Amino acid sequence: MTQKRRIGVFICHCGGNISDYVDVAAVREAVSDMGEVAFAETSMFACSDGTQQDMIRRIEEENLDGLVVASCSPKLHLTTFRGVSRRAGLNPFQYTQVNIREQCSWAHTDDRVGATQKATGLVRGAVARTAQSSALVPLPVETTPASLVVGGGVTGLRAAIGLADLGLDVHLVERAEQLGGQVASLGATFPDQREGRAMIDELLSELDARAHIAVHTESTITAKSGSFGNYDVTLQGPNGQSVTTRVGSIVVATGAASYVPEPGEFGFGLAGVVTLEDFTRGIESHAGRLHFRGQPVRTVVYVYCVGSRQENGNEYCSKYCCSAAVHASVEAADLDPAVRQYHLYRDIRTYGRHELSYEASRRRGSVYLKYADDDPPVVEMGEGGRLRVLTTDRLTESTPLQIDADVVVLVTGLVPQQNAELTSLLHLPLGSDGFYSEIHPKLRPVETVVDGVLIAGTCQAPKTISESVASGLAAVTQSGAMLMRGVAELDPQVAVVDHDACTWCGACAAVCPYEAISHQVISARDVAVIDPTVCKGCGGCVSYCEAGAIDLLGNTDAQVRALIENLVEVRA
Amino acid sequence: MDYDVLVVGGGIGGMESSLKLGDMGYKVLLVEKEPSVGGRMILLSKVFPTLDCASCISGPKMSSTVNHPNVTVASSSLVEAIHPQADGSFRASVTHKATYVDAAACTGCQECEPVCPVAVPDQFNADLVPRRAVYLAFPQAVPKKVVIERAGTSPCSGECPAGIKAHGYVALAREGRYEEAFQLVLEATPLVGTLGRACYAPCEDQCTRADLEGSVPIRAIKRFLADRHYAESDTPGVSLAQANGRSVAVVGSGPAGLTAAWQLALRGYAVTIFEADDEPGGFLRYALPAFRLPGEVVERDIQNVRDVGVTILTGARVSDPVALTTRGFDGVIVATGTPLATPLEVPGTDAEGVWSGLDFLRDVRLGRAPSLQDQRVVVVGGGNVAMDAARSAARLGASSVSIVYRRGRDEMPAHEDEIAGAVADGASLRLLLGPAEVVTDSAGRVSALRCDVMRLGEADASGRRRPEPVPGRSELVEADVLIAAIGMAPDVGALAHVLDTTHGRLGADPTTLQTSVPNVFAAGDVVVGASDITRAAGAGRRAAINLDRFLNGEALGPIDALDGRLDTIAHDSVIRRQARYSEHAAVERGLNAGELASFEEIERTLSEDEVLAGASSCLDCGVCSECGSCARACPADAIDFTMRDRTEEVRVGSVVVSTGFTLFPADLKPEYGWGVYPNVITGMQMDRLIAPTRPFNTILRPSDGKVPERIGYVSCTGSRDRTVGNPRCSKICCMYSIKQNQLIMGTLPLADVSMHYIDIRAAGKRYEEFYQQSAAMGAQYIKGRVASISETPEQNLLVRYEDIEGTGNIVETEYDLVVLAVGVQPNPAAAALFPDQALELDEAAFVFEPNEDLQPGRTNIPGVYVAGAASGPKDIVDSIAHAGAAVSGVAAYLQAHRVSTEPELMGVTR
Repeated sequence: MTQKRRIGVFICHCGGNISDYVDVAAVREAVSDMGEVAFAETSMFACSDGTQQDMIRRIEEENLDGLVVASCSPKLHLTTFRGVSRRAGLNPFQYTQVNIREQCSWAHTDDRVGATQKATGLVRGAVARTAQSSALVPLPVETTPASLVVGGGVTGLRAAIGLADLGLDVHLVERAEQLGGQVASLGATFPDQREGRAMIDELLSELDARAHIAVHTESTITAKSGSFGNYDVTLQGPNGQSVTTRVGSIVVATGAASYVPEPGEFGFGLAGVVTLEDFTRGIESHAGRLHFRGQPVRTVVYVYCVGSRQENGNEYCSKYCCSAAVHASVEAADLDPAVRQYHLYRDIRTYGRHELSYEASRRRGSVYLKYADDDPPVVEMGEGGRLRVLTTDRLTESTPLQIDADVVVLVTGLVPQQNAELTSLLHLPLGSDGFYSEIHPKLRPVETVVDGVLIAGTCQAPKTISESVASGLAAVTQSGAMLMRGVAELDPQVAVVDHDACTWCGACAAVCPYEAISHQVISARDVAVIDPTVCKGCGGCVSYCEAGAIDLLGNTDAQVRALIENLVEVRA
Repeated sequence: MDYDVLVVGGGIGGMESSLKLGDMGYKVLLVEKEPSVGGRMILLSKVFPTLDCASCISGPKMSSTVNHPNVTVASSSLVEAIHPQADGSFRASVTHKATYVDAAACTGCQECEPVCPVAVPDQFNADLVPRRAVYLAFPQAVPKKVVIERAGTSPCSGECPAGIKAHGYVALAREGRYEEAFQLVLEATPLVGTLGRACYAPCEDQCTRADLEGSVPIRAIKRFLADRHYAESDTPGVSLAQANGRSVAVVGSGPAGLTAAWQLALRGYAVTIFEADDEPGGFLRYALPAFRLPGEVVERDIQNVRDVGVTILTGARVSDPVALTTRGFDGVIVATGTPLATPLEVPGTDAEGVWSGLDFLRDVRLGRAPSLQDQRVVVVGGGNVAMDAARSAARLGASSVSIVYRRGRDEMPAHEDEIAGAVADGASLRLLLGPAEVVTDSAGRVSALRCDVMRLGEADASGRRRPEPVPGRSELVEADVLIAAIGMAPDVGALAHVLDTTHGRLGADPTTLQTSVPNVFAAGDVVVGASDITRAAGAGRRAAINLDRFLNGEALGPIDALDGRLDTIAHDSVIRRQARYSEHAAVERGLNAGELASFEEIERTLSEDEVLAGASSCLDCGVCSECGSCARACPADAIDFTMRDRTEEVRVGSVVVSTGFTLFPADLKPEYGWGVYPNVITGMQMDRLIAPTRPFNTILRPSDGKVPERIGYVSCTGSRDRTVGNPRCSKICCMYSIKQNQLIMGTLPLADVSMHYIDIRAAGKRYEEFYQQSAAMGAQYIKGRVASISETPEQNLLVRYEDIEGTGNIVETEYDLVVLAVGVQPNPAAAALFPDQALELDEAAFVFEPNEDLQPGRTNIPGVYVAGAASGPKDIVDSIAHAGAAVSGVAAYLQAHRVSTEPELMGVTR
């Protein structure tokens, strides 16, 4: 009989996030009588440094061999408390986090008794589970000091340069023939009036100056294997030739696409109804008069939020378009101060310094008319081939207005790129808006749920150039933080095979999505073997093994059974 | 190189930068001016658009930062200056501000906080509630260590010649903690009752309130403390150190000798006082008149000294104090004062009816004074003894009392109160008259004083204008009794053979008070000439502490209580610090309406109510009152008032400026009434009201603590507004307002929440959806800039605006509480960091990024990067991304310049 386990339990108030709906003192009482519980305490913020210090002290003083913290989702603080355990000399895998916030207090704000009962069951279950835990040691692997950047737009280019400057080898892959992405075709930008092309050229010359960047244009990724720190990626070039290279991290910077209006949407399809992008590319001055595609322009109408903030379409705001349209109107007015410009908008979102541009636009005579969300402008062809825009100005007692225009500019937003193959190959998570999702916008803003696969730029959400570049460089920094030390630790919570029980039926290998399982002859029997560097610990194989020969370290059958029994016991 | 990177500012941008650089393997020094890292984010309630609680996101980052093996955090520290070096590295000077708390010892238990008697606005709660002078910044502070706020020495305490913590005992008295206050005075001197009556109270002259409604009655409070203690207890109630087996002789039992004996007895010495007179007390007993200082009070103070084991031998004149050291005493303190009256050196002073002031006062105290009924009394001199003599003469029935003085009233050395008292008692001032001859009658009795008429010439060595006779002019002042009180001197003639008595005083080092004989010290007027009782007490303390040091083999030198005080804070900075302060009626000094003929005390003791009212008017000038309560309460013995700022020079490879932003001061929009109408608050104040660590348990409005039912938001306060010099948008205010709208609707389901806006700027991932969610929950969004706010008699607010989307009319909407969505302003601290090469700023004075699009985070100075809102308004998400960009620049810079603490980073190909 081994010695009884000594487990410490901390139950968090989370300010009031938990304790407003869960009686944390009652939970503490209910677990205190468990034989393995050395002590149970409540704290205002378990994650605060003060409580962390307390935990370390108690772990050391009480000689604990298990720790349970009942607080928020493990997505938020599993690593926090594993770190506490490590600092206190307790094996981090003998720590269990119980989520009594999202799963109890937040889910049952109308049922304090029930929420408390549920929390009690979960904590008791976690104690029982922890009592069955064993010490696990992460597998150290040497990482490859190289990164793959997917996408050769402004974000990807800047990221590639940044990675090279950290001393990492870089592979930059772009499916188009030319590098530069959307920015390459932009006109002058706020605030420095730099042309998009000039920015891209600056980056390309920087790129050329760095020997450690391999550029693969007209190329796509066709295969990816391995794990964080050592991904083997296969790239296919224009002539079908393939190259496989090993990288430590992957920065996805595949950008976004401009929204293309439906035919008829705000008159799209009529002559003179154009997108903002087309407008900025097509304007010029002849003899002091504004011309668009060679035709003189006296009146321009801008319609904002085309394809953005739509109740039954893209609900999100595309963020950059207000600033871009306002800036375009300043450009147009500078080409021809006499041009009449009307902006039909909902909210002008020229945040930060862009507000100066908005002011400049109004000073140059632009008129801003607010339309109601449920009463959008109508664009139609009027007499004489001139466009006619009908709108209601909310700011002048909802006066109906008719504006005859030469050009109607649809201020279109950004939409996600169609990259289904890449998305599925890299297992990239998509949000409901169709953009890639980070793990947490503040805690891990460029990381995805796939270790070592990072996202940057407008593939994550609409952004301005400088915001895109900043996120690209944040991904550079994250790559550096992961790879510059040269060693990474792999999660030891992997599946293991009891070779005495295994009969090698092959079912496990068939379901493994990571190709981690093979078979070998051991002690004259054919048995399954699992590569711990490839296994992700998903547990799929465990349930398929009829012989019951596979167990998942950190989530053993014994642990799960103990958890369920104690959870159920409370309900009875 | 000391560190690879210096990060200035420990908000979210600074923490993120430090963590990532640390993860890369660089050694980071993070300098944060506040006691905790965390910046503004940790003070917020929840954060948009996920509604995570700010503590849950920020707290662990704070913890990771201080626990990161590659990150060194210097909190409560300031980067004074950063100097770029030729090799691409930087030299920086970092000042670690004194917190007066030993961070290694402090456990953050906060037992000090409730005992601190000083409350000031809590800046970490947006000034909504008070905190203590000793405080933990906020519950989740990292490091979790308390600090003491000391803005300087309070003027009262700084001025006290005895080193009494005047502010301390006033602060304790304000809380009714009279006994602790009494004990605080005892730390300096046993003469609490005496000083409570007869001190000239320089503290009160320095009191910041003195220039407003009148000084805090500091001395009268001390008197109350003494009277209260003596009425309730027979003993001083102090604890003594273990007897140390050494004995000390103190010669003289005036204020210096008594204080020295007290200090030594507390330290475990066996002390014997040798007093030549019949009773102990010196001038306290024999020179100060009873109407100022009754004998019982002196006796009671002396009882304190006896109670701590001091032996007082009276009638014991010591002619050779040095000889005492050979008779069993380990050390001697000479404190024999100034017993000799300076004679009036004019013809005729041997006439009958001529007294010295000291003899006269002594006889009055001993009841031996002659009746002065119907006598014309002339007192010569302008000092306190002269005033006391005059006032005593008036009480003895003199028909007239004249004070003859050779300079003007402004030059009189007596304390102003004393002069005024003498005049009030009927004495007439005969100024600019220099005594020339005592005129006698035929019986040899004084009949008049002939005086030269004087005028004031050039200033003399003392700074006073020297009187000189007006040629040919004299005046006769008729007198039946003449009292000469023109000065006093030590009686050191007998000591000349054993000690240095040059200049007629006992020679001693002014700092240590050690005489030429190493274990003989001197204290009080015998060293400096006539001064006053409080100075004498201070000198006694100084001598005692240095004798103790000498006997313990320690170095002699300045003493903390007198020489180690922080610089005194200036009055105007105290006044500036007050957002508003209430008027306090000055406490009446409580004059007794006694008969002039009586020697009854002229002052009475303040009532408890008067003491509380008087003490409550204290402005806590230095913030910490030095009462020492925290030190006594601290179980870890972590409080250290002797701690001082320390500046350190470091060499670093690169710099990250993450000094963040400041919030628009809402009082710069006076039409919105913030600071005038109590129910107009800022967005930051509302965030505190709804934070998990909120000051109250719900949302209460400031004026009456009512739960508001109608809450209005005013967006763009201080932004998009050229009238306040900020045409830019602050970016975060729309979103934090929308966040608060939702949280308020969650906390107060019945409340109506409205926001007056120009444009809703919900630009960012999931921000628009967040705004729609808020509107769907019922928040009203009303387009139109708010023109002004006024207040109703119920202290509700009328918000005036043009209803541009509705009727188009000018309307006023009434709210119970108005929240101003204040904007973001640059932190001027950033530019101040670089004295050699200007850190370039943009037109709004945020840190400029010359290539913002492609090199975000890079500044104009090579190797210097900016992270977060120091470069312009940013929300948390943007700040974190921006910090990531800055870090990539720093790492590239360090790689290129090879100015790293480690020659090579593992596993990197170059």
